[in-house]
Amino acid sequence: MPELILSHVTRRFSGHTAVDDFSLTVRDGEFVCLLGPSGCGKTTTLRIIAGFERADAGRLTLDGADITHAPPQQRDIGLVFQSYALFPHKTVAENIGFGLKMRGRPRAAIAAAVEEALALVRLEGLGGRYPRALSGGQQQRVALARALAIRPRLLLMDEPLSNLDAQLREEMRNEIRRIQKSLGITAVLVTHDQAEALAMADRIAVMAKGRLQQMADPATIYEAPATAFVSGFIGQANVLEGRVESTGAEAVLALPGGVTLAGRGDGLAAGAATRAMVKHERMALCRAEPAQLANRFPCQVAERTYLGGSIAYRCEAAGMTLTALLPNHPLFESFAPGDTAWIGWAATDCAFFPC
Amino acid sequence: MRFLGKAAGGLYLLLLYLFVAGPLLFVIATSFNPATSFPAPFEGLTLSWYAAILRRPEFLSAAGTSAVVAALAAALAVVVAFLAAYALSRNGSSSARGAMATLLASPLLVPQVVISLAILQLASAWGVGTGFWGLVAAHAVYVMPFALRLLLTGLARFDFAVEEASRSLGGGWLSTWREVTLPLLRPSIVAGFTFCFILSFVNLPLSLFLTSPDTATLPIVMFAYIESRIDPMIAAVASVIVLAAGTATILLDRFLHVRLVD
Ligand SMILES: Nc1ncnc2c1ncn2[C@@H]1O[C@H](COP(=O)(O)OP(=O)(O)OP(=O)(O)O)[C@@H](O)[C@H]1O
Ligand SMILES: [Mg+2]
Repeated sequence: MPELILSHVTRRFSGHTAVDDFSLTVRDGEFVCLLGPSGCGKTTTLRIIAGFERADAGRLTLDGADITHAPPQQRDIGLVFQSYALFPHKTVAENIGFGLKMRGRPRAAIAAAVEEALALVRLEGLGGRYPRALSGGQQQRVALARALAIRPRLLLMDEPLSNLDAQLREEMRNEIRRIQKSLGITAVLVTHDQAEALAMADRIAVMAKGRLQQMADPATIYEAPATAFVSGFIGQANVLEGRVESTGAEAVLALPGGVTLAGRGDGLAAGAATRAMVKHERMALCRAEPAQLANRFPCQVAERTYLGGSIAYRCEAAGMTLTALLPNHPLFESFAPGDTAWIGWAATDCAFFPC
Repeated sequence: MRFLGKAAGGLYLLLLYLFVAGPLLFVIATSFNPATSFPAPFEGLTLSWYAAILRRPEFLSAAGTSAVVAALAAALAVVVAFLAAYALSRNGSSSARGAMATLLASPLLVPQVVISLAILQLASAWGVGTGFWGLVAAHAVYVMPFALRLLLTGLARFDFAVEEASRSLGGGWLSTWREVTLPLLRPSIVAGFTFCFILSFVNLPLSLFLTSPDTATLPIVMFAYIESRIDPMIAAVASVIVLAAGTATILLDRFLHVRLVD
């Protein structure tokens, strides 16, 4: 079964560690997104998996076989480049058939596989064109078809959608997932776009400064972030700093102004500097006191930002500046700058992370 | 005013072209002039000077020597320049690329006679004759920077990711070179070779100290010839060279879209 395991992979570039003790398991048929900010080592990790970058330490296994030192051409890994890297002097059909030609397949078999791959990416009839005569979206599909035509054990994609416009990007997200599912292929997609990762992945591996922060399904990543980095990187959060007053199932954090917050967190120690994080859309803003919420404060609306599908309110409450994101729907109250209101959030939505 | 400005610009360009191409046109015209001295007033049209070349075996054998020297020097220069340009483009930062390219272009800054003399001295210091290969080496050293320039320009447009794409699809080093790298860089390689060949073929000063009677190149034989007498046959030889080089340049432009002169 094609299962990819990275164990303790490390890569250093002249003193700076691009990938740091990185371990990851991608299960058979799974679609994993490697998500992280620019420069965190995503591309380097992908290139180590593909064999274009060596690992200074650690091991890679694919399908149970050690591939740490295998040259790229022997790995049977399909790769979709950010720039597509189509062969400009070859036709679409020649591009797609290239991998099979390298494998010495007979001409007729290659032609049949090319037709099949073209149909898979819905580019029937374009086999005779040259890449420069295709739109960006079509080139993207050719790059995907070329990587898939060799029936790789693993499909790797480095920011494949970043050169497409917003609408095409949404369409290709669904296309890539449809194709990946229909072939049952194991895939790793690198992106710095959290919406893309949340929408596409079976599981997301969040990476920061070369290290794996958390590996989980999208809902867990979003709702139960394991580190302050993940919490701050995925979605938008209010961040408040204070010291732990008491620990337990429901911990209490004391802020400098004397305000206390109820929340949850692991590895907390009484008196330790700690950060509370609450996602903007988990904040309630209402005229009546929300008695069921453990954290609630009278507040004044300072700023209202209309976002179309939602409305963001920046509020001042007990020395805190908090942002609440409310759906733009008649069931939710509407406020204007200067209004007084109540702002609140549940203890379960208030995550504590030691600083 | 605008019109006058344009007219002045046009006139300037015309004079510039005449200044550059004028001597060339004069040489070509002279090669058809039956007068036996050079320069002389035009007396008619004849192809006899071209026929005269064929009666001078030393010109034909020198042309052969020049062609062989030029081909070897160009090949050597292109191989060396390709390796350097490839490594610089692939790995170097742009400042390192600039510095290395300047360093490698340094033979251009040394008078060619000095390169010729230096190779002669080096060879005698080592106690070996310069011979044929000394001549080839001198030409290769001199023309290499031109190939380097063309190849660096070609490689600047080359996306190295296509090589990785080939390898990820199962292509080994050799298949990747044959299927991807070479076809994409062929125009620069062919242009570099042609340019180096022409530069070497017409070069006189490099060969001054390095040729013997058996290895005399065409410019050396031409130089020796005009030392004793000047007649339009030398113009006919020059015209043949111009015709061949011009044809090569036009073919490159037409079929490979590579310009030797911008
Ligand atoms: N060949 C190299 N030599 C030196 N440093 C490198 C090299 N390749 C990458 N790095 C460094 O390693 C770090 C990680 O780079 P990488 O390209 O993997 O980031 P990334 O997560 O893909 O970023 P992005 O989202 O911008 O593509 C960066 O700081 C980068 O400068
Ligand atoms: Mg990257």
